[in-house]
This record gives sequence, C-alpha cells and structure tokens, in this order.
Amino acid sequence: MSPRSGVPPGFFVTAGIVARKDLRIEGRTKETLSATVLFALVELVVFGFAFDLDTIRRMGPEKIVPGLLWVTLAFAAIVGFTRSFRVERAREALIAVALAPVDRGAVFVGKWLANLALLVVLEAVLLPLTALFFDVNIVATAGPLVVVVLLHTVGLAALGTLFSGVVSRLGRGEALLATLLLPAATPLFLSAVHCTSSALEGAALAADRKWLLLTVGLDILYVLVAILIFDAILED
Amino acid sequence: MGRRIDLLRVVLLPVTAVLMVVALYLIFVNAPEERVMGAVQKIFYFHVPLAAVTFLSVFVLLAGAMGYLWTRRAAWDHLSIASAEVGLLFCTLVLITGPIWAKPAWGVWWTWEAKLTTTLILWLLLAGILLSRAYASAPEQGARVASVLGVVAALDVPIVYKAVDWWRGQHPIVFGAGKTNPLAPGMLAALLVSMLVFVLLYALLVAARMRLAAQEDRLAALEDAVWRSQ
Repeated sequence: MSPRSGVPPGFFVTAGIVARKDLRIEGRTKETLSATVLFALVELVVFGFAFDLDTIRRMGPEKIVPGLLWVTLAFAAIVGFTRSFRVERAREALIAVALAPVDRGAVFVGKWLANLALLVVLEAVLLPLTALFFDVNIVATAGPLVVVVLLHTVGLAALGTLFSGVVSRLGRGEALLATLLLPAATPLFLSAVHCTSSALEGAALAADRKWLLLTVGLDILYVLVAILIFDAILED
Repeated sequence: MGRRIDLLRVVLLPVTAVLMVVALYLIFVNAPEERVMGAVQKIFYFHVPLAAVTFLSVFVLLAGAMGYLWTRRAAWDHLSIASAEVGLLFCTLVLITGPIWAKPAWGVWWTWEAKLTTTLILWLLLAGILLSRAYASAPEQGARVASVLGVVAALDVPIVYKAVDWWRGQHPIVFGAGKTNPLAPGMLAALLVSMLVFVLLYALLVAARMRLAAQEDRLAALEDAVWRSQ
C-alpha cells in the first residue's frame, strides 16, 4: 500500500492510509473505544434507574428501547467523534495532514471510515447489553436490526466526523459537538428510532421502505457534502 | 456595491414604513374577524409572513455559505452572517407568535408537529452556527466554519420537515394543492400586504447587517495597519 515516493497517492489510497493510521493508533492506545464503551455502559445504567424495567415492560419494550438505544449511542458516539481529531491537534499534526499534497476530501473519507469502524465495534457491545438490561429479544430479529443500525450509523459517522472537524478547529469539546450534531442529525435519529422499533416488533424491512430510502439518501448526501466542503476545515 | 445598497435603503425604508401602516390598517380595521377564533386569528397575519421569511433566510444562508466556500469573497460571508442573524430573529418571533395562537386554538402551547418541530430545530441550527462563529479565533476561520455549518443546516431543513411530517402531523393547512382559497377577500389582502412588508423589512435588515459586517472588516484592517506601522 505504500505509495511511490514523490507521487501523491490517489483518493482511495489516501483515504485508506488515513483510516489505517487512525485505527492503528486506536489499536495501540484503545483510548476511544474504552472511553465510549464505558460511557455507553454508564448511560444504560442511568436509563435503567430513570425507567425501571416494570415501566418499560408495561409500555412495551419495542416502543421505549429504540429511543434508549439511540440516545445512548448518540452521546457515546459524540465522545468518540471528539477524540477523532484530538490525536492530530495534540502535536499539531493536523498541519502536516493539511500540508500533504492529497485531496482533502480523501482525508475526510479516511477519518469517516475509521470513526465508522469504531462505532460498529461500540454497537456490537451496546446492542446485546441493551437487550440484556431491558429484556428485549434481539436474536429473533437480528437480521433486520443489524441492517437498520448499520444504515443509520453510516450517516451519523459522516456528519459526526465533519462536525468534529469543525469543533476541533474551534478548540472546543463535546458540548459544542452535541449542540451542533444532535439538531442536524434529527432526520437520522427519527428514522433510526422508527426503524429500530419496527425491527424489534418483527416487521420486515420492506415495511419501512420509505424511511430506509430516506436514510440511504441522507448517508449519500452527508458523505458527498462533507467530501466537497471538508477542504474549508483543514485550511488555515 | 455599498452605494447601491445605500440607494436601495433610501427608497426601501420609506416604502416599508408606509406599507407597514397600511398593513396594520388592513389587518386590524379592514379584514373581517374570523368567525370561530375571533381576534386571536389576527396573529395569523404576522405569524405566517414571519415563518415564510424565516425559511426564505435559509435559502439566502445557503447561497451565502456556498458562495463563500466557492469564491472565498467576503461579501458572500457578509450575506451569510446577515441571513443567519436576521433569520434567527425572525425564527424567534415565529416561535413566540405560534404558541400565543396555539394555546387558544389547539388548547396547548406546544405540540411536536412537523412545522413547529422544524422551526425549533432550525432555531437550534442557526444558534449553533452563530455560536461557532463567535468561538473562532480569527474572522476567516469563523467564516469557513460558519459556511460549512450553514450549508449542512440549510440542506437539512427540508429533510427535517419531511422526517417529522412522516413521524407526526397537525398544523392547520390553509393553502394547499386542490384547495380553494378559504380566506375572505379582506383577509387575503391583509395577508399579502403583510407578507410584502415582512419581506421588505427582511431585505432592509439584511442590507444593514451586511453593511455593518463590511465596516467591521474595514475597521479590523485599519487597526491591523495601525498596529503594523507602530
């Protein structure tokens, strides 16, 4: 994968290099994953106190649990996104990234893929734990559930990566990222909660065709827009 | 550019002022009182134009933000600042006038319906953009950050509307496809003139804010020059 010296790597090679760099750092330090997984766990415990299991059972877990799941996921993801650019800020390495003669859109794609991979790992831990804590059977509906969660994660990671770039440039942290990201991701969250709910109720994916199409459209829109405008964030 | 805006203001300001009085006459004297809701319905002539202008400002914001990202010319950013700030003002007024009407009409101050929710989300997005701009360490950084957020926010607003609409419904739809106009002639005239007044007021405020932004830039440049010469 190492590019020939003197020739700047192409778009996808650059994206691969950036993603592998981020994931390698994470593999060595495990800082982001330990922070997000632990934070998510704390959130689940807090929700366990806020809505006790009897209330959830009475109101129907399929109606309540998707909301709990996505709120937990959103805030844990925000903790992760904020760290995405912190590595580069710490030793001003972002200047080196910005100076590299590569497409800035490819740098975005690399960071997005790395964040996406970390989110998927977080979800792999979070989904079974949520099911366990709030007494939901996710084994029977695993197929549609996984598709729904993954589709919404793609767009969330794209918007989160773009906005965490903005927040890191401003030298701010989780509070500003949450303030910017949560309202902007409203359509994704509405769709995520709706589709997760119907997946838990055992509905086929085809029943939510319009929501899933909206989500795929949002995923594509957010990624494309971010590739086009990420340039303005790296510049200084 | 500056002189053109000045000329525009010299003409627009008196025209808007006169039309404002005309609109008030049409709304409170000329237009018939609504049969069921009575005087409460009068807020409709303010609420609807305010909302229309709020969403107009989203398009202007999109144009300003995209123009700046494309050309990096300050004038586009001034348009983007002006539309975000004036848009936030109008959006706040929409969120105040709406519940005043909703309480007597629907019996609640607030409901999570598509138009209300979208307006609230828009308010949060605009506030977030202005907050981020204020956090920037240099004006150019603020302009870039605000443009990036502005593009995403403006593209997002129609999607938020559609998503909340699928999720919930309940706002009165007065005008719609296949509907005959339900307003009495006096009501329609009041609404149209009021709409015109708010659009003109919006244009005036945006022009004034753009002028201020340009002057702020000049002042910063002058201060910089003085600081360098010392």
